[in-house]
Amino acid sequence: MKLSLKLLQDRVITLSITIAVLIIISSIIWPNTFPTFDNFSLVLLNLSIETIVAVGMMILMISGSFDLSVGSVVAFAGGFTAYLMYYWGVYVPVAIIAGIGVSILIGFINGFLVARVGINPLIQTLAMMGIIRGLALMVSGAGIQNFPESFNVIGQTKILGFQTPVWFMLIIVALFAFLVAKTTFFRKYYYIGGNEKAAKLSGIRVEKMKIYSFILISSLAGFAGILLSSRLGAAMSTSGQGMELRVITAVILGGASLLGGQGKILGAMLGTIFMGLISNVMILARVSGYWQQIILGLILILAVVIDIILKKNVGIAPKKYLKKAVN
Amino acid sequence: MGLPMEKYENDIKLKLTNITKIFPGVVALDDVSLELKTGEVHALCGENGAGKSTLMNVLSGNHQPDEGAVILRGDKVDVPNQLVAQKLGIGIVYQERSLVNDLSVAENIYAGNQPTNRWGIINFKKLFAQAKVLLAKLGMADIDPKTKLEYLSPGKQQMVEIAKALSQNPEILILDEPTASISETDAKVLFQIIHSLTQEGVAVIYISHRMSEIFQIADRVSILKDGKYQGTRIMSEISVDDIIRLMVGRDLVKQDYQSHVGEEVILKAENFNGPDFLNISFELKKGEVLGLAGLVGAGRTELARAIFGVDKKYEGELTLNQNPVKINHPMDAMKLGIGYLPEHRKEQGLFLEMTVEENIVATNLDVAVENKLLQFSKISDVANSYIQKLGIKTPDSKQKVVNLSGGNQQKIVLAKWLLLNPKVLIVDEPTHGVDVGAKAEIYAILKELTEKGTSIIMISSELPELLSLSDRILVLCNGNLTAELPKEDFSEEKIMHFASGTKNMFNKNSEKIGQPVSAN
Repeated sequence: MKLSLKLLQDRVITLSITIAVLIIISSIIWPNTFPTFDNFSLVLLNLSIETIVAVGMMILMISGSFDLSVGSVVAFAGGFTAYLMYYWGVYVPVAIIAGIGVSILIGFINGFLVARVGINPLIQTLAMMGIIRGLALMVSGAGIQNFPESFNVIGQTKILGFQTPVWFMLIIVALFAFLVAKTTFFRKYYYIGGNEKAAKLSGIRVEKMKIYSFILISSLAGFAGILLSSRLGAAMSTSGQGMELRVITAVILGGASLLGGQGKILGAMLGTIFMGLISNVMILARVSGYWQQIILGLILILAVVIDIILKKNVGIAPKKYLKKAVN
Repeated sequence: MGLPMEKYENDIKLKLTNITKIFPGVVALDDVSLELKTGEVHALCGENGAGKSTLMNVLSGNHQPDEGAVILRGDKVDVPNQLVAQKLGIGIVYQERSLVNDLSVAENIYAGNQPTNRWGIINFKKLFAQAKVLLAKLGMADIDPKTKLEYLSPGKQQMVEIAKALSQNPEILILDEPTASISETDAKVLFQIIHSLTQEGVAVIYISHRMSEIFQIADRVSILKDGKYQGTRIMSEISVDDIIRLMVGRDLVKQDYQSHVGEEVILKAENFNGPDFLNISFELKKGEVLGLAGLVGAGRTELARAIFGVDKKYEGELTLNQNPVKINHPMDAMKLGIGYLPEHRKEQGLFLEMTVEENIVATNLDVAVENKLLQFSKISDVANSYIQKLGIKTPDSKQKVVNLSGGNQQKIVLAKWLLLNPKVLIVDEPTHGVDVGAKAEIYAILKELTEKGTSIIMISSELPELLSLSDRILVLCNGNLTAELPKEDFSEEKIMHFASGTKNMFNKNSEKIGQPVSAN
């Protein structure tokens, strides 16, 4: 009993179970349309861009911070790369590197102003969200199309039945899941999120680490944006709109806390998969898109409430070890 | 007015009978009874986790007892919440601060009880006037009720906290560790206030770990251990040792002073200047315990933080093993073998929601690295060895630190630094809020370190521990070094003179650098 309760505290496990149940029930209800390779492959393709951003958001949220400008960066990086290729005829790899380069710069500015100057991340990235959206509108306007074939190929090739964005997503998730679990560098983000002052006094260079985390999420968002342009064969100034909140929702569903110190990279992907499945099921059930948002909101609240209830009842250690004066 | 004890002899104001309180998995209070007389100061002693705070929370309506009754002036009463407690005349000052920095002193005192007109609009004129009268009555006329709270010193803020509790004219006042974060001078003022309250018939329950205070101020003392009542004694008929024996259920082994001071100078600080300290120079020898004495706000913590590289705003030369060094970040200090156990354990020392093992390895994750990758089994191994070495009481190394008692938490912070094998360890209030048993264990750990050649700089506001552990004591006052005392010159009186600025061993015309803005 005790062991099972403890397992239920791990969001990766509870979310995996929930997803499995959702898949089984949906397969029973729609045996012909839901459990098909094409459907799953489409669900994964649709959530791949957001998952890449969610990986960065998870690391940021583990450190107790977040970034609202990611959606704008997705649009801007895609648009900027497209602009260079279309108007200036810049060679594809150079345009991509330039697109990721400006994303890194945006991340550095966010990180520097948050960590060194001390602007609250909510305010800083909210402002940056507006600024970058404006820049995205400037570079891509009504949209840019007709890219060189060597660019489109990046996001439109199929390998083993899955489109490349799915593979990029899996590689990035696997890479960062490994790095966050196994390297001292990424482990430090848990300490920063756990207690920033104590982390500094324990010799962790908190300011630098924070700047790195903002650079990381921005470059992942930039890469995701370029990948999206390639996949669609078009760069649009509206892409990524509202993505920041969907990604934060997925990451919280995946086990992160706004206070920091908690979460796993795998949880971020499970969060986006769960949200992707919900919207897929809604489409199959012919439920209006409005309901999707309502239901996702309710699920988010429910997940957090269940978490609070579980935490109240688990972890009761033998009497002699506990603080007896619980205030 | 006559002596309160004579005047109100045998007038029982409050009785707690057979109180039992069970939390999930824990019996916090086990059949506890207590009697409180009118006009007495009743001390409540016990180790951390003995049930003192729970008992007070039952009395103030935060917890409902599972069994037992609260009898006030002969009538059984229910205390379902704090509001009712207030109406019954029970006031409490919690260990945790309940004040708001951005509001004025008066608004803090009357939080939730501001005088209003008939439309619910706050009458500020009346509010400030009321606060002024109350503060004057408590001998705090120097506090302007319109001042923002954050501009007051920690000691004065504590006074405001007490004024807040007294604004409801309680007949019973509960003080939970009221002197934990205030200076001795402020403590004296507090004791005077308590004394005058008892003259008016107020009964005071006084919770403190500091024995000297209890003997100074209390009339009687009750002792709790593991949630059980151990007895009540009149102060004049009991000794410190007796109380400790009742609290821990055994005699504490008193360590004899033993010096491990070597010849070699390890650390040398020259002309340290910063916003909170002036021209400080000192030497630290191998294996030495150098005590830093001073009042709250004297600049001791700021000096330590400067040496450790936390705050960069200072100048001065630091020499370690004859090599000049520059420290800009705690990481630099740690690489040079300097550690710093911070003043506030929960805010600065611990990752409360993380596990014991994660906390212990926080300073040096590299101990668990193999082939550039973290090995979690190694984290547990390293942590378990320290859990054993320091006698940290925890079910296992994966327990969250927030669930452990203060003493065990402090040992975890200490373990974090032992992991680095520091050459110099700065400890800032190492036994703050720690019970007597754990205190003795922490002293033993520090002594063992010096035996192995580690030098220790110890900041402490508890003079007895400073006197018994230090080999040499430096006294700071208002950011100036006012004395350097060798072991043979140690005495509480001497230190207090130098700490309060009435004497200075060094220059007579030392500058005053004004009250530090913040002591945190």
